[in-house]
Amino acid sequence: MTKSRDDKDDKQTSHDPSRRKFLKGVGIAGAGAAVVDKLWIDVEARETQADPSQSMSGSVKVTLDINGTKRTAQVEPRTTLLNTLRNHVDPAVTGPKLVCDAGTCGACTVLLDGKPVYSCMVFAVDATNRKIVTVEGLGTPEKPNAVQAAFVEKDALMCGFCTPGFVTSISAYLKTNPNPSLAEVREACKGNFCRCGTYPRVFEAALAAAKSGKV
Amino acid sequence: MQQQTPAPKPKKKVKVTRTVNGIEQEVEIEVDADSGPGWGPNDKHRLLNHAMTRVDGPQKVSGAAHYTYDMRPPGMLYARILRCPNAHARVTKLDTSAAEKIPGVAAVIPGPLSELRFAGAPVAAVAAKTPEIAADALKAIVVTYEVLRHVVHAQDAIKPNAPKVVEEEANLQQKAKRGDLPKVEAAFATADAVVEAEYISARIHHTCLETHGMVVDYNGGDTATVYASTQGTFTIPGDAAQALGLPQTAVTAIVQHMGGGFGSKFGIGVEGMLACKLSKQTKTPVKLMLTRYDEFVMAGNRSGSWQKIKAGVKNDGTIVALQARQYRLGGVGQGSQAGQPYIYRAGESYREIYALHTNEDSTVAMRAPGHPEASFAIESLMDELAYKIKMDPVAFRKKNLADEVYYRQLDKGAKAIGWERRNPVAGGNPGPLKRGMGCAVGTWGGGGNNQCKVDVTIGRDGSVTVAVGTQDLGTGTRTFTRAIVAEELGLQLSDIKEEIGNSKLGGANSSGGSTTAASLSPSVKDGAYKARMLFAEKVAPLVDNAKPDEITFAGGKVSGKGKTITWKQACAALPSAGITAHGEWRSDLQATGIHGAAFAEVEVDVETGHIKPIKLVHVQDGGLPLNRLTLESQINGGMIQSLGMALWEGRVMDARIGMQVNPGFGDYKIPGALEIPEMIPIIDDDDKREVVIGIAEGCIIPTLGAVVNAVFNACGVRVRETPITPDKILMGLMNNGPMSA
Repeated sequence: MTKSRDDKDDKQTSHDPSRRKFLKGVGIAGAGAAVVDKLWIDVEARETQADPSQSMSGSVKVTLDINGTKRTAQVEPRTTLLNTLRNHVDPAVTGPKLVCDAGTCGACTVLLDGKPVYSCMVFAVDATNRKIVTVEGLGTPEKPNAVQAAFVEKDALMCGFCTPGFVTSISAYLKTNPNPSLAEVREACKGNFCRCGTYPRVFEAALAAAKSGKV
Repeated sequence: MQQQTPAPKPKKKVKVTRTVNGIEQEVEIEVDADSGPGWGPNDKHRLLNHAMTRVDGPQKVSGAAHYTYDMRPPGMLYARILRCPNAHARVTKLDTSAAEKIPGVAAVIPGPLSELRFAGAPVAAVAAKTPEIAADALKAIVVTYEVLRHVVHAQDAIKPNAPKVVEEEANLQQKAKRGDLPKVEAAFATADAVVEAEYISARIHHTCLETHGMVVDYNGGDTATVYASTQGTFTIPGDAAQALGLPQTAVTAIVQHMGGGFGSKFGIGVEGMLACKLSKQTKTPVKLMLTRYDEFVMAGNRSGSWQKIKAGVKNDGTIVALQARQYRLGGVGQGSQAGQPYIYRAGESYREIYALHTNEDSTVAMRAPGHPEASFAIESLMDELAYKIKMDPVAFRKKNLADEVYYRQLDKGAKAIGWERRNPVAGGNPGPLKRGMGCAVGTWGGGGNNQCKVDVTIGRDGSVTVAVGTQDLGTGTRTFTRAIVAEELGLQLSDIKEEIGNSKLGGANSSGGSTTAASLSPSVKDGAYKARMLFAEKVAPLVDNAKPDEITFAGGKVSGKGKTITWKQACAALPSAGITAHGEWRSDLQATGIHGAAFAEVEVDVETGHIKPIKLVHVQDGGLPLNRLTLESQINGGMIQSLGMALWEGRVMDARIGMQVNPGFGDYKIPGALEIPEMIPIIDDDDKREVVIGIAEGCIIPTLGAVVNAVFNACGVRVRETPITPDKILMGLMNNGPMSA
């Protein structure tokens, strides 16, 4: 599995010619200049002065397909998908966790068109017209998917802060390889960090979920 | 609600451990003389000492568990902290005017310190409508610093002309001294062999995945709710209330789920104080969670250590003399380090312990503060002595350990790792990929105290609720709490509901020093037992007026005098408010003192210096295992964190600029999925003590030493400074000369 850190495929965000192209609002703290160069997006702009003492903020209305439901939010072009889910969509989607905000730990992993990505490394404006699935969309406490059920059964969690990321990565991986080896499971979760030390049981849970045949 | 009013009871005095801000203190307290039944034999439990899946697991795997970081009260502002870029400085001017003008910025306040003694110290804080705008505001603050001289390396800080870290204190301060030096010197004269070495362990970061911080839900009224990422629910309301200008009773702290603390999360901290002040000023809810960078530079860390030890040994393996000079490397704080010879008998011994300041963020408690540091040095030394006199390291340890529990644990561990496969000649295996094994032991307290107040309520509808303010850090607190009540009342886990993590519920201790299980479980047991007896009184008329202690509760049924009714039928006899029994701590249901032994197998590539962990074993006792499944998970976790200390983790400081150069997961390496070896957690069931003892900290201690010793056995390079990075292996191989194999 490859973690898509800057998932730039051919899909472009929707473009409504009635709206102005907009490049402002990539604030002084905006990340990912290469991505910004390609950022031609539709906005309902609230332009502000380019006075350096003011933030160069503009707001963008995005419609996101989150766990099968269309949700809208007003965000800045620089707002990450993760921060949009957690801070702007109402009610909040907080399964994906903010841990490093730098694409290193995997706690914010979500599926973008079925592919696991670090949602702290994706701008919300780049996630429109994509299918976003978070850990909440994979199963519920009452009706967990096979990976979630195996995580509980094998005690593949302690504090649980990394767990949504692991569950999401492994759920996606087992779709592509329903019968993995231990080595393949390790590879599949090498982009996710756990600090409590649950790894051995995460591996066990992934293998048990695969064996259950319910993936 | 009917509250049981206990008759005055005889009292007794016991010594217990209390943790204040992560520092353990032994205090004598008065408690009720113990009453009520004990746990019974460890192998006779229906739920306890079995593998139970954690009751909050389904919430955690589906994103339904809500952490402090997930809270978002309406209108909430996002706060950030501006950090000092200098290792030692004073702020001469703080210009926040530009930041305040940024649309969306609600408040900018100065930090609490006049002198900043480490890079990363808080200078100011902002609250804004989004975290993105808050980040802009930080960049717009203009600070003028008077830069002072700094020192960040211990070897520099100890020099006489070194810059002073803390104005009023010397950088080097003697903290403790023990032993009779002339006697030690005389004992050295009787030794057949002497080893003298210097060991350095790096400062380690907790790297809690949920960073420090809180969400202050306050709108300018008379009350506030504080969601805190903390190990001590009850350490929050007092200080938060003070910062908000409210009476303590007006603040409720809530800790439903917590994303890792490992000793670093007690009290509101600087970040909590700033969050409260911002909330007070704006009369708006504020979230202040540290960024990952903040977490590295200002959230505390594990003490580093620098230890110079000399030991003398007889040819039969008996250590006759030991002399140690130990430096605790605590940055601007005091650091921590257990005294040598740690848990070994070492004949005549003498030690001096010093705190040595540098311009670095203060150390705070971290899982077994001071123990892995001391263990690493003494276990390395034990190995060096054993090799010197050509004795098996396991046999050598048995010879010098007083407590025989370690003997069986060493045997169990040796069997599990396959010690017989070990080549006694260090570096003696052929080929460039050389395997080796090592071992080590460790100890911890783990006893509880009387701070947990538990209410067990049985409702007329058949519901059972156990309420206590304590927090569940992910150690399985909810699960064992339910299990104790369920077992007492003959019910299933799913029949019980727990209310925890709320300062408005019964008092509870902080989760520090592995004290949670031994503090909470006796109070829960006491409450459950009292609820059972009270319930039995009420239900007696339904079972032919059987005496309360003759009435049994099993399989969801209540029986007495040959008559059996269902739980629900029995509950229907209760008053409308049900019954509530209050549980207090009982010292006889817990104890202190645990033992652990760790074994490690590693493979060293002598061409690259790369070390691959192959297998880890940890044998751990702890009295009655409340839940075998979560206990094994904690043992695994301890091994993995200890492995991280051995091979990868360490705070790296640049001496010239005085800043940490690896403040992120990209550069500070924590254990990942690819490095995890085969792992065998072993619960030492030969411990027949029918008491609960906390084990969390015990599990992190010995693996570090076992890994270091395994590396030596594999390749013949004794690395005396953690982490053992490949460069140290290659340097050691070069110094050792051509490999014999």
